[in-house]
This record gives sequence, structure tokens and C-alpha cells, in this order.
Amino acid sequence: MMIYVVSILSIIFMIGFVGFSSKPSPIYGGVGLIVSGGVGCGIIVSFGGSFLGLMVFLIYLGGMLVVFGYTTAMATEQYPEAWVSNMVVLGSFVIGLIMEFMLVTYVLVGEKLEVVLGFNEIGDWAVYDVSDFGVFTKESMGVAALYSYGNWLVVVTGWSLLIGVVIILEITRGS
Amino acid sequence: MNPLTLSLVLTTMISGTLIVMTSSHWFMTWVGFEMNMLAIIPLLTKEHNPRSTEAATKYFLTQATASMLLMMAAITNLLYTGHWSIMKLINPTASTMMTMALTMKLGLSPFHFWVPEVTQGIPLMSGLILLTWQKLAPLSVLYMIMPLINTNLLLTMSLMSIAIGGWGGLNQTQLRKIMAYSSIAHMGWMMAILTYNPTMTLLNLYLYIPMTITTFMLLMLSSATTTTSLSHMWNKLPLITMLILITMLSLGGLPPLTGFLPKWAIIQEMTKNNNILLPTLMTLLALLNLYFYTRITYTTSLTMFPTMNNMKIKWQFKNLKQTMQLPLMITISTLILPLAPIMMILE
Repeated sequence: MMIYVVSILSIIFMIGFVGFSSKPSPIYGGVGLIVSGGVGCGIIVSFGGSFLGLMVFLIYLGGMLVVFGYTTAMATEQYPEAWVSNMVVLGSFVIGLIMEFMLVTYVLVGEKLEVVLGFNEIGDWAVYDVSDFGVFTKESMGVAALYSYGNWLVVVTGWSLLIGVVIILEITRGS
Repeated sequence: MNPLTLSLVLTTMISGTLIVMTSSHWFMTWVGFEMNMLAIIPLLTKEHNPRSTEAATKYFLTQATASMLLMMAAITNLLYTGHWSIMKLINPTASTMMTMALTMKLGLSPFHFWVPEVTQGIPLMSGLILLTWQKLAPLSVLYMIMPLINTNLLLTMSLMSIAIGGWGGLNQTQLRKIMAYSSIAHMGWMMAILTYNPTMTLLNLYLYIPMTITTFMLLMLSSATTTTSLSHMWNKLPLITMLILITMLSLGGLPPLTGFLPKWAIIQEMTKNNNILLPTLMTLLALLNLYFYTRITYTTSLTMFPTMNNMKIKWQFKNLKQTMQLPLMITISTLILPLAPIMMILE
């Protein structure tokens, strides 16, 4: 059963994506983001990256999404559009769910799915090894490598974040 | 704009393009593209009016979609080959997706719809940066993955771009839209020769950029954005009307001006590859471009357009705008053709 945990989590991930892609009001979109973020964290943890998964929870859900939720709550309208309030939103959500269900069934029942890329039934999502990795896991080694070999990447990333904030402030400043 | 913000934004824009040009890992290429796109958005909304906001939104949406396609192509390549190296984009799915992502960033047909609308909604200086600097990064990546691009796809897109650049610009009187369609057509010429001899692509780029900078500088001298306001220029800056004449004819590709050199080189390289029908079609469609450039010169320098009498008697103000770089740019844009032997044997 644990073999299929990644595929189940991926299905819930896609349901969350369909949930906010059907364009309800941003508050309800935030709910979809929370579901997808939490489940994505689960996928990362299933592949052995416990530190990175907790990082997703802490920074993404606990930092960025909280700020997003507060700003959306400040700028909300009187009757926000939920998934069941508008026929368009409900219809696109239902059609997205049906399409995902059909895709998953086609992948599980058939042997191979060749749309743009080739999927080999369940093989790409199964988690096979639950063995002991030793003292140093791959993901903590990767994070350490980011600060040693990848110091240029840290500089670029930090600069991009700073510029992101400066640009957002500049655009919303007005005249 | 606040000088500190402007310097930060320009630094990020330049570093974004440099990161794209110098990276060997697809992830860094994507990072460079995103930095570039994010940094130019405040330049597009420099005048805070709804038209600029609309132009910036359209630019952001198309470029973000293209970046997502780029990432998808890189990850598809990772799935099939197992590495992130730029030079080895072997999988045809990944190569096709990457080509479409990069041509979407350049504004080639069938992804050209954003170019006139975005160029029209922004000030002339931002339009200049959009049409010249923003072409460098995607073209450098296309130059790097050149051996693995599907030639049929690229030639189709370039022929459609030349056609659309020609026919789309015919009905325009707004100068920024004319320059946008000119950019679409020139990108079409550049992409046509990419898989045969990419040096000629770079030659075309190195001559297209000075010609476009010259045109925009001449337009910025009198802040002219419509053909009508260009037609008043005989009264204000009569020398500039002559310079607009030769620059526009150079953009149209007439010998003995510079603009003829890239077209000549591209046609020569294509005929060396036994490809005769396509350069013929491209040249015939470039005549459409030449028509609307000539129409601009007709209204600007060759005739005095009918105006009201109070337009014919103007206060003659001293020109206070900076024209220091203009003589050099005019020389580069119109008189480089004798250097053709050096440029065409470059490798």
C-alpha cells in the first residue's frame, strides 16, 4: 500500500490544482493552494526528502500563503465566488475532475500512455526503496551543496527575491 | 522613475540576459529569463495609465507562458536523457517545445499577437528596449541549440512571420505598431537562416539592432508616435526628415544601404543550400515591409502633408534633446554595406 502513496498524493495534488484553476475567488483559491502545498510536501517526504518537505510547509504554507491569505482578506469583495455559487466554476471543476479520473483510469488499466511523454502504467510513481540511507541523506547533502558549490545560485536567487519585492512595490506605487 | 529603482531594474535586466547567455544548465537559463521578464515590467508601466498596465499584463502573460514551456522542455529532456546540459537537447519533443517557447519570447508568428499591442501601449524608450535588448537572450539560446532544431518548423514560422510582418504593418499609422511589425518580419528573416548558417542570424541581429535604435532615437527627438506627427517634422527639424528617409529605406533592405547586407547574406546562404523558392518568397514578402517604410518617408520628407495653416507657422524652438549618439548610429545604419566582404566570410 505504501507503494502507491505517491500516486495517491499526486492525484490529490491535481485535484487541488483543478480546484483553484476553475477560478473561484482568491480566498477559495488559497484553500486549493493549501491542499496542493500540503500534499506536495507529502510527495517530497515520500521520496526521502524530509527536510525539504518541512521547508515547503514552513516557508510556503506558513509564510507566503499566510501573507497571501491576509492580503486577500483585506481586498475581498462582498460575495466571493465559491465553487458552488457559479455554474461556470462548478462546471469547470467537475469537468477537470472527470478528465483527471479518466486519465488515471487510462494509465492504470492500459499498458502505456503516449500523449506528449510516455507513462508506463504505475511505474513512474511507485516508491520502491524504503531502505536506510545511512548518515547523510541525499537531500541534506543537496542543501549543503547549495551553499558550497552553488553559492552563485544563492546570490542570484537572493537578488531575484529582492528585485521581486522592489518591482512589486514600484508597479503598485501608482503615479 | 526613482533613480535607485531604475538602476536596480536595469541592472537586473542586464544580468538576466547575461545569465541566459552564459549558463550551461537549463535551470539557470530559466532563472535568467524570469529575471529579465520581471525586471522589464516596471519599465513598461513607467507612465501609469491603463494602456501601459494592459501592455505590461499582456507581455507578462506571454513571456511567463513561454518560460513555463521552456522549463517543460528542459524537464522533458531531463526525463529522456538524464542531464540538464544545454548543448544536448536531443529528444525531438523537447527540441520542438523549446523552439516554440523561444520563438514565443521573440514574437515570431504564430505567437506574434502580443508584439504590436505591447509596443503600442508603452513609451518610446521602453519600446526600444523591448524590441532590441529583449531579443538577445532568446536568440542566444536558439544559437546554442541550433543543430537540434527542427528545420521545417523553424522555416514555416519564419515565412509566416515575414508575411505577417509585411501585411500586418500595411494598415498602420501608429509608428510603434509599425516598428513592432518590422521587428516580427526581421525576426522571421533571422530565424530562416538559423539552421543553415547561424552566423548570418547574428549578422542580421547586429545590423537590425542599430537600425532599430536609430529609428527610435529619431522618433524620440520629436516624440513622434504617429505618422501625422512625423509629417509635421519638416517645420521643426528638417534635417531629421532626411535622416528618417535613409534609415527607413535601410530598414526596408534597399541597396546601397546597410539593411541590404543581412538580406543578401541570408539569400546567398539559402541558395548555397539548394533552397530557391523560399528566399524568393521571403524577398517578395519583404517588399510589403518596404512599402510601409516608403510610405513613412513619403509623408515625412518627400511631401509636405496637407495640414491646417497654423501648423505651417510654428515657433522655432531650440532643440534641447540629446543627439550625441545619433551621427554614429546613422552611419552604422546606412553606410556599412562596403564592409560586406568582411562580414560575410565570418564563421
